[in-house]
Amino acid sequence: MSERRINQLFDSANIVLMLGAVLLCLTPFIHIVAISLSSSRPIMSGLVSFFPKEFTLEAYIKVFSDASMIQSLGFTIFLTLLTAVSSMVMTIAAAYALSKSDLKGRKWFMLVIVVTMFFSGGIIPEYMLVRDLQLLDSIWALVLPGLVSPFYMIILISFFKGIPGSLEEAAQIDGSSHIGTLFRIILPLSLPALATLSLFYAVGRWNAFQDALMYIAKPVLYPLQLKLYQMIQNNQVGDLLQQEGLGMTELMPESLKAASVIFSTVPILIVYPFLQRYFISGIMLGAVKG
Amino acid sequence: MTESMLKKWARPALAVTLASSLLLGACSSTTKEETGSGDGAASQGATTLKVEIFDRGNAPAGYTITNSYLTNLVQERFGDPNNINVEFVPVPRSEETQKLNVLMASKSEVPDIVFTYDSGTFNRYAEQGGLTDLSGMLDEFAPNLKKFLGEDTLAYGQYKGQQFAIPGRRLVLGKYAGYVRQDWLDKLGLPVPQTTEELYDTFKAFKESDPGATGGRVIPFGVSLAAAQYEPLLWSFIEPLTEEQRYTLTQQLGSSDYPTLLPGFEDGLRFMNKLFNEGLMSKDFGLDKDKKQLWQDMQNGLVGFYTEDAGELYFSANGGYENLQKNVPGAVMTPVDAFTNSEGKHAKPAYAPNAMYVMIPKSSKNAEAALKYLDWMASGTNLFDIQYGIENENFTLVDGVPVVKADATQEAKDRIYNFGDIAIIVNGKFAGDDVKNESAYIAQTPAAFQADMRKSVEISNVDNIQPVRFDHPIAAEAKYGNALSDKFEEMIVRLTMVKPDQFDSSFDSMLKDYMASGGQAILDERTEAYKAMSGK
Amino acid sequence: MKNWIYIRRSWQLYVLLVLPLIYFVLFKYGPMYGVQVAFKDFNFFQGIAGSDWVGLDIFREVFQNNDFFKALRNTLFLNLLDIVVSFPAPLILAIMLYELRIAWFKKMAQTILYIPHFISWVIIGGIVLQVFGTQSGFINNMLHGFGIQAIPFLSDKYYWLFTYLIVGVWQSAGWGTILYLAALTGINKELFEAAEVDGANRFRKIWHISLPGIKTTIATLLIINLGNMVAIGFDRPFIIGNVAVRDFSDVLSTFVYRIGMQSGQISLATAVGLFQALVGLLFLLGANYASKKLADESIL
Repeated sequence: MSERRINQLFDSANIVLMLGAVLLCLTPFIHIVAISLSSSRPIMSGLVSFFPKEFTLEAYIKVFSDASMIQSLGFTIFLTLLTAVSSMVMTIAAAYALSKSDLKGRKWFMLVIVVTMFFSGGIIPEYMLVRDLQLLDSIWALVLPGLVSPFYMIILISFFKGIPGSLEEAAQIDGSSHIGTLFRIILPLSLPALATLSLFYAVGRWNAFQDALMYIAKPVLYPLQLKLYQMIQNNQVGDLLQQEGLGMTELMPESLKAASVIFSTVPILIVYPFLQRYFISGIMLGAVKG
Repeated sequence: MTESMLKKWARPALAVTLASSLLLGACSSTTKEETGSGDGAASQGATTLKVEIFDRGNAPAGYTITNSYLTNLVQERFGDPNNINVEFVPVPRSEETQKLNVLMASKSEVPDIVFTYDSGTFNRYAEQGGLTDLSGMLDEFAPNLKKFLGEDTLAYGQYKGQQFAIPGRRLVLGKYAGYVRQDWLDKLGLPVPQTTEELYDTFKAFKESDPGATGGRVIPFGVSLAAAQYEPLLWSFIEPLTEEQRYTLTQQLGSSDYPTLLPGFEDGLRFMNKLFNEGLMSKDFGLDKDKKQLWQDMQNGLVGFYTEDAGELYFSANGGYENLQKNVPGAVMTPVDAFTNSEGKHAKPAYAPNAMYVMIPKSSKNAEAALKYLDWMASGTNLFDIQYGIENENFTLVDGVPVVKADATQEAKDRIYNFGDIAIIVNGKFAGDDVKNESAYIAQTPAAFQADMRKSVEISNVDNIQPVRFDHPIAAEAKYGNALSDKFEEMIVRLTMVKPDQFDSSFDSMLKDYMASGGQAILDERTEAYKAMSGK
Repeated sequence: MKNWIYIRRSWQLYVLLVLPLIYFVLFKYGPMYGVQVAFKDFNFFQGIAGSDWVGLDIFREVFQNNDFFKALRNTLFLNLLDIVVSFPAPLILAIMLYELRIAWFKKMAQTILYIPHFISWVIIGGIVLQVFGTQSGFINNMLHGFGIQAIPFLSDKYYWLFTYLIVGVWQSAGWGTILYLAALTGINKELFEAAEVDGANRFRKIWHISLPGIKTTIATLLIINLGNMVAIGFDRPFIIGNVAVRDFSDVLSTFVYRIGMQSGQISLATAVGLFQALVGLLFLLGANYASKKLADESIL
């Protein structure tokens, strides 16, 4: 078989397999969309799969007319940006310093940081700390405690290390300081990694709610995912309702939950396509040199 | 290039910093407004009373969990006259224990009034000395509350003789009723099953004749992994007990009594095993943690018989019966009391007369105001107004019984959306007295279903098995309760699904594991406790 | 003198480190005193400092618990399976994506593949039941149509392992590709062009250029995964697991949740956490050491 033929076969197989994977990943999402557009009876009877039954926009009208959802969306977008930016600044600073293998004390710094990947004081002392720093019920309680992820920092270190040392040396011979080199050489060359990690931080923040569960009691500071979590978790049928007595609490309609899922997922889903140019083109070393 | 890079980075960073300071400023000013609302002149030198509230994420548009019709009602009717600022502290319903633990440990942040359904949590706080003893204070500050709850209910809030909690009063004590497809029975010319044997024959007939023409998908006996589905069956197999057996062999895990060690439990499981292996019950019941699958099957007309919280079927919010009748025209579900025990009785568990444990932490400086608040709730029409809303908008009075208006406006409904979470001293809607309560309870369902609803409630109150109660908590139950209730579920699922010839050996090994994981410790402690109690 | 030169040359690096280190010390080491609870009988109202010391009693209790060892075994077992099955999945997927020649399809595929990462586990749980259920699951309905007997994907523990892995791959593989794709873009394009000239086919290019190009990323992730061998997320085993397969689905996180958190036994939960941390750190250091010796890749 000619090399050309092999490549053609490879391409066709690749496309077919990828189509399959895409379908697998898309169907549950379509299912949720279908539920969000259906009426209660077909949902409760399990009749909705990929197409809405007894189509209605009621759920979306409810979501969009709920001022607190809109407010929470705005807050969450802001919170996510704030987290991504401050986390990236700190992570870049640490990773750049620690990517220098001749930095004295590097091993110890690394150990100090890596230990925190495994050991933690537990939920009660962490709560006390946030309280003592007077961060309860403030946006910073959702930003500061998870500011730097050791995992992402390690990834960034390995990216930085992958940049040829010669480039840096050349800059330093030209009299550039470390920080100057960081901005002039390292960061522009690491755009794919920076885009990736910003995305990771942003998505991590967007999807997280456990910290808000503990630290936030003011409804204006509820991230979207916390609202969503409560809607889904607290409206499950089962023994909970039995304990509380029939007719005491009304279950939230499934379509409203589904519409809220869509409402709170789509904004973060569309971030990736915008970042994609950094992944698809990348930066060619040659281009920078020239 | 580098300069533009820098600018690219710097500009958004600057913008974010600016925006954040603006937003923070905005947030702090809005909160000031929020806490400031409603208290008016009363705010000077006012006490702030912090009250826990369950947050279920279901605040309707226009309200927040801490600022709604009901929170304002509390402030206006209780707070303002008493110069008290009532501040509600939301605690997520699904994480209540975890968050409450943290709040309790922090001391400074814990509300003055907290609560939980979990008896283990209450006992733990009481044992560790974190709760205010209310024994002497009730008479002085909360006479109405004391009268409302009654001695029976109050006893549940005692820990070693001290009143560490105020238990909510539970109004509806009956738990379960059975439901059978009347139209299928009619089609096959069968009587309504009145005993376990007749029920078994009915299952067989449903399976063989498939009267609903489901194409072989018929589920004669619908089951999920929720207690409402298996408890009526299992408890009907329990042999009549002596008082000593009742006290020593029952295992209270969490808030319910478990029959693991009671004589007859094994037979009950063997019966379930038989039903399963003969294809008479839901195949996936072990996966159906939240009844969702069962409800779907029921609504699609596949289920012939099932047991459920009495009347659940008729509550319109869940739409169960209405959906069934729409999906399968002509389908009729009749309430039925089918399981019988060896004495021919329809024995089934019921609730204890208590509900939530309402507690005042020891670190609270406002125990007096807290009791006053609870007393206020039990006085006059306050409780009624919280639970029922406004006359002619939310409900109408028919012969003195409040009937919820089916055509109430959304605005009216939203007004009392979380009345159950504000009215913490009671579980169920309080209409004045027991008779009215029951009528009002039944009147919550659509008119067409009310006859069946009444029958369901009657069934749930027949031959009730009351929970057993010691005068002090069993320490081993608090410690092993969660692990054992999980093991109990595991026993039910695995022993039901195992091949019949392996039932006995599996039962023995699982029971052994159960005993080793704390079952024995509970048995020992209860035996001791019974000796001490009966020796007195 | 030598030190002076070093400091003059490197002081900026230390300045960069100041804030991150303050962060770690304040927010991570600050609450670390909480671990002493593992050696105390924690009382909510005496606080961490005020509770009574009990020595190793808590650990004794943990190690005497049969369920703990079962959970530990399952944790190791499920994580091992994940390293074999779920770890390579995003790598393969990333390479396939990278090799796609149709730009719009590539973009679209990437975006869609990572959607499952955004669906919360509670919802996934419901979908899993609808797809894999024995009685009315999608797959079994299809099998039924072909006259094949229903397969207990969720209630038989061996089939359950398969379901657990599949769902895990489905949920995380697309998301995992992002990092590899970022690494792949870092490979010098000239290498591919040169290979083209030499007439290398796609498999060769993948093997000789793409994979070596992202070796460091693979090694980094593998080391960190190995360090997490005794740690396991809560949601996936809890949501996909059920009582019928608890023999396999009960892992350390669900064990701690049930025994420690739900029952308020903070000491016990902390003790298990401390055990996991120690073992995890040892695994990580070991993996890092091995990787350094074998592949000259190290994260520390």
